[in-house]
Amino acid sequence: MSEILQLKNISKTFPGVKALQDITFDLKEGEVHCLCGENGAGKSTLIKILSGAYQPDEGGEIIFDGKKVTLNPHMAIAMGIQTIYQEHIVFDNLNIIENIFTGSEIARGGFLNKAEMRKQTIEVLKYLKSDLDPDMKMSELSSGQQKIVEIAKGLVFKTRVIILDEPTASFSSSEIETLLEIIRTIKKNGLGIIYISHHLDEVFKIGDRITVLRDGRKVSMYDFDGLTKTRLIKDMVGRDPSTFYQREKVQIGEVIFEALNVSGEGVTGVSFVLRRGEILGIAGMAGSGRSELMNVLFGSARLDSGEIRIDGKVLKHSSPKTSIRNRMCFITEDRQNTGLFLPQTIAQNVAVANLVNTREFIALPVDEMRTGDTYVKTLNIKTNDSRTRVVDLSGGNQQKVVLAKWFNTNGEIFIFDEPTHGIDVGSKQEIYQVMVDLLKQGKAIIMVSSDMPEVISMSDRVIIMKNGEKMAELSKDEVSEENILTYSIGDKAI
Amino acid sequence: MSQAAERTPVAKASLFKRHENMTPLSIFVGFIIVIVLTQLITQGTSRFPTFISPVNILNILQQVGVSGIIAVGMTLVMISGGIDLSVGMLASLVSIVTATGISKWHFGVVGSIAAGVMAAVVLETLMGFIISRTKVEPFIITLGGMITFQGIALLLSNSREVILNGELDFFKANLIEGAKDPATGLNLIIPPYAVIFFLIVLLAGLLLTYTKYGRRIYAVGTNPYAAYLAGINVRNMRLSVYVIMGFLVGAGAVMLLSRVNTGIITLGQGLEIDTIAMVVIGGTALRGGKGNIVGTLIGVFFMGSIGNAMNMLRLPSEVQFVAKGLVVIIAVSAGDVSSRVSELMTRRKEQALARKTIAAQRR
Repeated sequence: MSEILQLKNISKTFPGVKALQDITFDLKEGEVHCLCGENGAGKSTLIKILSGAYQPDEGGEIIFDGKKVTLNPHMAIAMGIQTIYQEHIVFDNLNIIENIFTGSEIARGGFLNKAEMRKQTIEVLKYLKSDLDPDMKMSELSSGQQKIVEIAKGLVFKTRVIILDEPTASFSSSEIETLLEIIRTIKKNGLGIIYISHHLDEVFKIGDRITVLRDGRKVSMYDFDGLTKTRLIKDMVGRDPSTFYQREKVQIGEVIFEALNVSGEGVTGVSFVLRRGEILGIAGMAGSGRSELMNVLFGSARLDSGEIRIDGKVLKHSSPKTSIRNRMCFITEDRQNTGLFLPQTIAQNVAVANLVNTREFIALPVDEMRTGDTYVKTLNIKTNDSRTRVVDLSGGNQQKVVLAKWFNTNGEIFIFDEPTHGIDVGSKQEIYQVMVDLLKQGKAIIMVSSDMPEVISMSDRVIIMKNGEKMAELSKDEVSEENILTYSIGDKAI
Repeated sequence: MSQAAERTPVAKASLFKRHENMTPLSIFVGFIIVIVLTQLITQGTSRFPTFISPVNILNILQQVGVSGIIAVGMTLVMISGGIDLSVGMLASLVSIVTATGISKWHFGVVGSIAAGVMAAVVLETLMGFIISRTKVEPFIITLGGMITFQGIALLLSNSREVILNGELDFFKANLIEGAKDPATGLNLIIPPYAVIFFLIVLLAGLLLTYTKYGRRIYAVGTNPYAAYLAGINVRNMRLSVYVIMGFLVGAGAVMLLSRVNTGIITLGQGLEIDTIAMVVIGGTALRGGKGNIVGTLIGVFFMGSIGNAMNMLRLPSEVQFVAKGLVVIIAVSAGDVSSRVSELMTRRKEQALARKTIAAQRR
């Protein structure tokens, strides 16, 4: 088997972050090369370099078919590198044939050659042993079937390399089997496949070789001979805990919040208790149902069954409004789209969530500015005063505005979804300190985080989610990178 | 605090340095230019009142009062992220309902006015209900509303006009009877509806700036999902602006009827275009979340002044349409261009600063 693709000494630096350092990687014809690593290990960056979306730093080399190349998205596809991303990029109201050929239609003199496109589509679907009707619209297909169409598209256009990024997210188990079977078929054809997945089961079933990344570096590469899951997990972890943020201990009080058998969209039967003065960490891989759980708890997604209790009282009619009135706060992950009113001022942003708690009809801008200015000072938001528009602030300062918005409601139960996502190191420490201050006031925090050091250093307990279910609950002593990873990617018992 | 945070540009509070004020600002400048030019041209001719004279300014006020009232409603709807294309035909419908109520159904003046206004409120509420409970674009729903209302109006009036005998004249009575323009000796007129217009402007301005309700309209228009997560009932907020709109269209239409004494389908024709133009010229964004009543007030008087100026300059109405249309296009794109220019300049400054900082770090 000859090598299709080689990466030599690939690095990628973003302002302030080394996303990849000195990566060496190769892919042979007819092999499935798996990539694994924690959230933020550099898998996505590596894929984006291969698909031409990012340019590597100087000094690295990409060698395709023995020739050194520079990639951009167009060239990558022209050379036969097809990337199938986690989110489906499809035209919902076009049918399978149209989806496959959009942008590269077969035409004669400006008129579409529909018969030829249909013929090729039918051929490739037959080859993939798929019984999909080429006239079906994409919106009628399940996500597993849509993935098959994307692979079919790759095959129609003389592809050499297919990159599958978390292909089985939201798949049923039979769909996973179908996909793995398809991969086995196309690999016989001499294609190289790069397979990225959190699901070690799949990786072990399909992979020929596996490369482990951690913090942007390549840790190890194995063929699967005698390889164990435990070995892989050991490779993925391995940071020195003494370098983590050292958090103050706070006295833990009585139970303030309880979830009993909570089920909803993407969440099945989750139970836990939360005490005053405590941070409950929620860990798990991307797509494990963590954010979904938070939305159900806060009332922004439907609660199908189960109960939420605050101070022992059952919360009825779950909705954000009720939650806020019952002292809950939700600091969302995507602060720009779901947490902030960007074109408005700091003062207006701070005032908005507390509107449901006030009885007065009048809301004077003067009062809002006074409140806003107080938060600008206490949270150390870098600006002149609260008349500044939020869009003009940096990420860390915007996050502080979100915090101020919720502090202003006098809430006590804080849900932090990725509290320091995309925030510089200095502001990160400030936000951690703010969280500890909340605990000291007897408040309680539920913290979703993909940042392993953050989960370990900040949490008093950790719940691990997978496929919308609670896999395990670890006490402070049990919390370690290895334990968390074992439960988030492995089976329940390894 | 980190480097990144220190480099963050601090927004200036100065009126001229903020991009978002550029549209109303450039309109205002254009407004002044139009006034000065017209004033210079009309000054020479002694037989007519000049442009800037008490009598002409009151004239403009009479001409824009009614569409101004509806423009206020349009401002609320557009800040909340919606639009309403049905206001023109709805106004025609209200005028026909009210006129028929007085002349044919014998509801009495008060009863007929109430019936007209109620009709507008009910119909707008229906549209608001559909808009807030479904994901269909307000553009489509209100377009459908416009066509439907036209049909209802024609059915009610048997496609004819309904003539009044001045029963609504109290709306156009002169509040300053006997006052004369010192220069020309012409009568000065301030009708009640002009006062009502100012009252509504004042109320809406206070509502948007000083109340919880106003906060929520802006929040919903800026970012509906974030507003929902902040505990705001987004659906009911969206519904409420259409209810208010219904009331204002009803009120405006009755006053329009009082001016012409005839309930007729053409009464509100083009009113939706005029009011949207006024609101947009005033700096309210079509995508919602941005705008204010002061801007709309400027837009209302700008449009009114242009119409009036062209009348004084004796331009034929065909030319007036072309000119008005061009003014809208030029005014709004000039606002956009100037805000882009000022944004570009800020960004250039930031980039230069960032480059310097990076260079300093490398050293």
